[in-house]
Amino acid sequence: MLSLVLRGVRAHMGRLILTVVSVVLGVAFVSGSFVLADSLRSIFNQVAEDTFAGVDAQVRAVEGDLNSSAADELRFSDDIADTVSELPEVAIARGGLLAFEKAYSIDAAGDVVRSSGPPTFTVSWQGPSSVSSFRLLDGEAPTGQQVALDANQVEAGGFSIGGDVTVSMPSGDPEVFTLSGIIDFGEGGSGGAYFLLFDLPTTQRVLGAEGLVDSVVVGAADGVTPGDLAAAINAVLPDNLEAVTGDVVIGEQQDEFGSFIDIFGNVLLGFAVVVLFVSTFIIYNTFATLVGQRTRQYALLRSIGASARQIRSMVVWEAGLVGIAASAIGLFGGLGIAAGLKALFAAAGGDFPDGPLQIQLRTVIVVVLVGLGVTLVSALAPAIRASRVSPLEAFRSGGRPPRSLSFRLITGGIVFVPGVAMLGVGMFGNPGSTSSTLALMGAGGALLFIGTSMLSASFAGPVTSVLGAPIARLRGVTGEIARGNASRNPQRSSATATALMIGLALISGVAVLTQSILDTFDEILEESIAADLFIFEENQGLEFSGLVPDRLAELDEVASVSGYSTVEVRLDGEVVSATGFDSASGTDVVDMGVLDGDIRIGGDGVAVLDEVAAERGYTIGDQLSIEFEDGYTQQVTLRAIFDDAAVVENDWLLDRSLTRAHVNVDDVAFVGLTYATGANPDAARAAVEAVITAYPQLSVQDNTEFRETAEGQIASLQIVINGLLVLCLIVAFFGIVNTMALAVLERTREIGLLRAVGMTRRQLQSSVRNEAMIIALFGSVLGVLLGLLLGWAAVIAIPDSVVRNLGIPWTQLIIYVVVGAVIGVLAAWFPARRAGRLDVLDAISTV
Amino acid sequence: MARQTGKVTPTETTVAPAVAARNAVKVYGRGDAEVRALDGIDIEFAHGQFTAVMGPSGSGKSTLMHCLAGLDELTDGHVTIGNTTLDALNDRQLTELRRTEVGFIFQSFNLVPTLTARENIVLPLALAGRRGDTAWIEQVIDTVGLRDRLSHKPSELSGGQQQRVAVARALACQPSVIFADEPTGNLDSNSGGEILDFMRRAVDEHAQTIVMVTHDPNAAARADRAVFLADGRIVADMADPSAERILDTMKSLGS
Ligand SMILES: Nc1ncnc2c1ncn2[C@@H]1O[C@H](COP(=O)(O)OP(=O)(O)OP(=O)(O)O)[C@@H](O)[C@H]1O
Ligand SMILES: [Mg+2]
Repeated sequence: MLSLVLRGVRAHMGRLILTVVSVVLGVAFVSGSFVLADSLRSIFNQVAEDTFAGVDAQVRAVEGDLNSSAADELRFSDDIADTVSELPEVAIARGGLLAFEKAYSIDAAGDVVRSSGPPTFTVSWQGPSSVSSFRLLDGEAPTGQQVALDANQVEAGGFSIGGDVTVSMPSGDPEVFTLSGIIDFGEGGSGGAYFLLFDLPTTQRVLGAEGLVDSVVVGAADGVTPGDLAAAINAVLPDNLEAVTGDVVIGEQQDEFGSFIDIFGNVLLGFAVVVLFVSTFIIYNTFATLVGQRTRQYALLRSIGASARQIRSMVVWEAGLVGIAASAIGLFGGLGIAAGLKALFAAAGGDFPDGPLQIQLRTVIVVVLVGLGVTLVSALAPAIRASRVSPLEAFRSGGRPPRSLSFRLITGGIVFVPGVAMLGVGMFGNPGSTSSTLALMGAGGALLFIGTSMLSASFAGPVTSVLGAPIARLRGVTGEIARGNASRNPQRSSATATALMIGLALISGVAVLTQSILDTFDEILEESIAADLFIFEENQGLEFSGLVPDRLAELDEVASVSGYSTVEVRLDGEVVSATGFDSASGTDVVDMGVLDGDIRIGGDGVAVLDEVAAERGYTIGDQLSIEFEDGYTQQVTLRAIFDDAAVVENDWLLDRSLTRAHVNVDDVAFVGLTYATGANPDAARAAVEAVITAYPQLSVQDNTEFRETAEGQIASLQIVINGLLVLCLIVAFFGIVNTMALAVLERTREIGLLRAVGMTRRQLQSSVRNEAMIIALFGSVLGVLLGLLLGWAAVIAIPDSVVRNLGIPWTQLIIYVVVGAVIGVLAAWFPARRAGRLDVLDAISTV
Repeated sequence: MARQTGKVTPTETTVAPAVAARNAVKVYGRGDAEVRALDGIDIEFAHGQFTAVMGPSGSGKSTLMHCLAGLDELTDGHVTIGNTTLDALNDRQLTELRRTEVGFIFQSFNLVPTLTARENIVLPLALAGRRGDTAWIEQVIDTVGLRDRLSHKPSELSGGQQQRVAVARALACQPSVIFADEPTGNLDSNSGGEILDFMRRAVDEHAQTIVMVTHDPNAAARADRAVFLADGRIVADMADPSAERILDTMKSLGS
């Protein structure tokens, strides 16, 4: 029994290897996702432990319902550090202040020293201590008008100890500091981030947070446990502050990193699942074809006494061997993928602290289960078919009749219809949250693919025949033969095309979604934006100093200017997000479509979106109570109702004179402005840019540039996604290689005949390639059509604020179809060569 | 309805034969496993002559056909078709020769399953990118009686009909010679008789040269000449054979 299996494996080595490759790709991706996520998690866990190694307790602000979104910026009086340090349980207490992307060093040439990926931190430092994770590498800790920098930044900026370092300030007026020393973070892994360290008073001045800190780190006196320490501190803290032990802080940090890494790992896993999904079709196809070719052998075995079970288990065993081989190779391939991705990050500037790649037992188990499972499930149907071969078939010539059309239509329909239904419910129904909408649509999409694949077998014949018609016309009889071959085994053609279909459907879907987002963006630009210039942080959309609009307002060339920020407030008893803007600018900068009232709401007014007003029955003139995160409460008058929240992004508008007075940190997300009437646009822009040079992280862009920026960002996201989806195309490529190799083998005799009656090698090869091209074209066309459907579904499922117009990138879609056809031609290269090399007589005498 | 090509008639004996083999040797395998499938064969087939090749199983008949048709290479010796010596030709030239100068009819599996009967008939011409002599092709189709089956796929044709398509294909491109390896071997006597009729007519009416392998003395009796092989050698060569003489010879050869 086993020897028969092994002989089968050996006899079909080439084909099985191709099958293994397609499983390996998916399995390696699964394994790589786990290994990378586990490795990163272990590294960051270590970093968190190092950072807080000497910290026994930390004092921080209690999160409230109005400040949860900016927890790391909650500041409180620095007196607390003194209060805490007087406790007998406390050995050392240090107040600290930290912010990122607020101040930068500027080199001698006037250029900002900033790494493209990881952030630049501004941190207070009172010299090395047991509760600080910074170490001095050289020089001294900074005091007064001094700064300490990390070694990378010192090298990048060409600074030297004792020399000057110009620092850009959130206030807009750069200052010169003296470099006091070079520091290092933790155990030598800052992840590529830059640090500017000042003493506490200077940090407070730089960040505009006089008298404030955002944490107090505490070391316990001898013999005091962290728990007792925290309790002792809590006893003297006001209600809005709390003390927690160092372990709690470490745990929270690790969880925070962990959830980020989980998202990242899950995205990778998602792609792995797609690749595996695609490979199931390839595996199924290979085994189905192998079983088909061995029908006689099985029949012979049956007639000499093998049971149906034995035949079935022969096929299952063969699949099992393929699955195990693929799992083993994939497991180690995953190590390569993980190492490669890590190296990629390092190349992008985010060098992780070093750590070994983690292969956990869980990874091994999952990988083996997945590899084996996917292969066995895919080979199940062919195995059952093999077991149904009757002994009589040994004497029947020709293959078995394919399954009836109605069988395929019924089974395909059983899968397809619920798929469409789930997509439909996701799109038009209201299943609740966005995530359940997406989950429904994901499952619906998968069923849609499987269903389409099954149904496509019923129309693959005629459709490939139509698609092949131009080729037949162009290439004459070789084209005709290619066309006939492509449509002669519709089930196989459709299974082969499916892999390509799925890959291209996803890629086209992404393209449609991308185009739709851009179209929506264009519409928003067109309808809602009146500004001449926009100022924002381009890389990550980070918030920046609320002083920027103030500085710009001083310019004569500027007519209206407004910053936009989001605050959480309790309005009329409910916690809502509101946008703070300079209401004096009215609709000059952002046109939010005022329906009623005066949008110049002033410091005691509020504006609301029409839908919310209708829902709650608000009318102009209503008095509402509003409470801010600092506890301040006042009455505001409803002065305007607007209908376009696409740019301001919140349902409520407040004047920034009100919001900035009651938030912890006065930041804005973006600033827009219009030129004064009669101002020369070039001169006006130059004046604006002159102000913004003090904020090196900011970009100044007009509408056209803004559009290009958005386009560039979306395009690079698309490239990353497509980069991962290309794996599907690679699997599809191997699938076509496999099918064509099997087809050539199956038709050896026919090939011999064609050669005997005068077909040249070249003609033969071209007909094999054309056949693959027709099958690939079938898959690509189906894929692009499904992609359109999926893209449309996504446009409907994703909130209108992100995308509401369906945009179809025709050129791209046509290119994808062509790419699909090219993949087919390339995949047929080897099978075609093999066909060409067949000896005419050997081929003819093949039984 | 004379053929339009200016091919010579069989009476002009001064002209080179349609096909000739000189000292043809074909050896399979090596050492102990060596088989001399052709062991020094010298033979000529004249234009417009219908030759039957006979002999016991394993005597080398198929091997001879294949080597004469350019489907296989001789170990030693030469084959010429018309004025062309095959051993000087590369694969592409051989292929083109098979397309234009040679027609081949196998015992079975003669047709490309994805092509219709008509497409199969004109396949060699189509492969050469030629339309061929359409009047002639129509005439061939009528002769073999396939007009109402032209758009059928091989799987929709009976075995006899399939062989008729194969004969039509061999005739369609007006080759110098047609080789047929047991063309009636899989057919009942009626269908087989029809195939023989068509071949006979092609020889009589259009001076087609045909070499046919057969095990059936009655079939061989329809030919102008019968050649007997045994162990890769020619052991008998008879003109205007009759079934009785053939049977006698077969008996004397012990098969
Ligand atoms: N590819 C091959 N490899 C080795 N030996 C071969 C090969 N082809 C034919 N032979 C041998 O050459 C000899 C002649 O074979 P051939 O097929 O020409 O016989 P045949 O006269 O056509 O027989 P039959 O009447 O059975 O068709 C036989 O002994 C056969 O075993
Ligand atoms: Mg033979």
